[in-house]
Amino acid sequence: MVSDDDHVASPEEMLRVIEEQSVATARWLHGDPLLLYVPWGVAWLLGFTAFFLHYGLDGHPYAPISQMQALAVLMGAQIVSGSIAAFGIVRMNRGVRGDNSARGTMYGYAWFAGMMLVVVIATRVSTLLPPDESGLVWGGASLLVVAVMHMAGGAIWLNWPMFFVGVWVAGVDAVGVLLGAGWHALLTAVLLGGGFIVAGLWLRRCR
Amino acid sequence: MTADKAPPELDPVIHAQARLRVVAALNMLGEGNEMAFPALKDLLAMTAGNLSVHLSKLEDAGYVQITKTHKGRTPVTFVALTKRGRLAFEDYTKAIRALLDNAGGMS
Repeated sequence: MVSDDDHVASPEEMLRVIEEQSVATARWLHGDPLLLYVPWGVAWLLGFTAFFLHYGLDGHPYAPISQMQALAVLMGAQIVSGSIAAFGIVRMNRGVRGDNSARGTMYGYAWFAGMMLVVVIATRVSTLLPPDESGLVWGGASLLVVAVMHMAGGAIWLNWPMFFVGVWVAGVDAVGVLLGAGWHALLTAVLLGGGFIVAGLWLRRCR
Repeated sequence: MTADKAPPELDPVIHAQARLRVVAALNMLGEGNEMAFPALKDLLAMTAGNLSVHLSKLEDAGYVQITKTHKGRTPVTFVALTKRGRLAFEDYTKAIRALLDNAGGMS
């Protein structure tokens, strides 16, 4: 590379250098939205479609899929998407140490704690409920954590798209829970599964 | 804007593309964060030698802080923007914008 010490550039050029370098650095630090959103979208689209076919909208299943089979589809897909997202997260903040990595670590543990609490609450409560309602507790409470963690992430990193993804998840979750298990599965598959795929592609395009 | 019409002085330490890119990149990290030398080298697509030269000039001006440490047995160097460096970058960006505004038909 040529040393550009003596090269005096115009103000326009220098401002462009600042802007380009800031954008390139933000990309380096924030990771690829394609890896962070699209895999979850696909997992929920598959998993909650299976649940939707199991529940049906009028209480009659649309396909001979048991609740356990639907759960297996969702969990399997989530393990794959979780691995892809973990790869994307590990690549974020490469070579950076300090407050950013401390934030990331606490945020990661907060996800884990939230999901563990869902398991504890849902396990305790679901034995008292009919299968559809217990499924709703699992799905509704998990998405509550997803919604709140996205909003909190938006606040931590001053990332409005992430915050609004959280708002979107909260809204869809609330409407779904009010309408019942079949609707919750349908709305989650289409609006959150599809929504995350669209969000990932869109954020990737605009970055 | 201040009353005097004199064009703002541009900080000679960062009025050089390579060093401006170093400072702009480190500025994105936010206070309290530092970046490992190899990562910064990859991000800026500079050679290690070239980056070292620019970093020592920035360090001499008090704009960056260079910390040498060890990860296991391998030495690692971390680079962070100092408060002074952050201020200098903000002032430089303001000055550049002011120059462009003045050039944009106001005068």
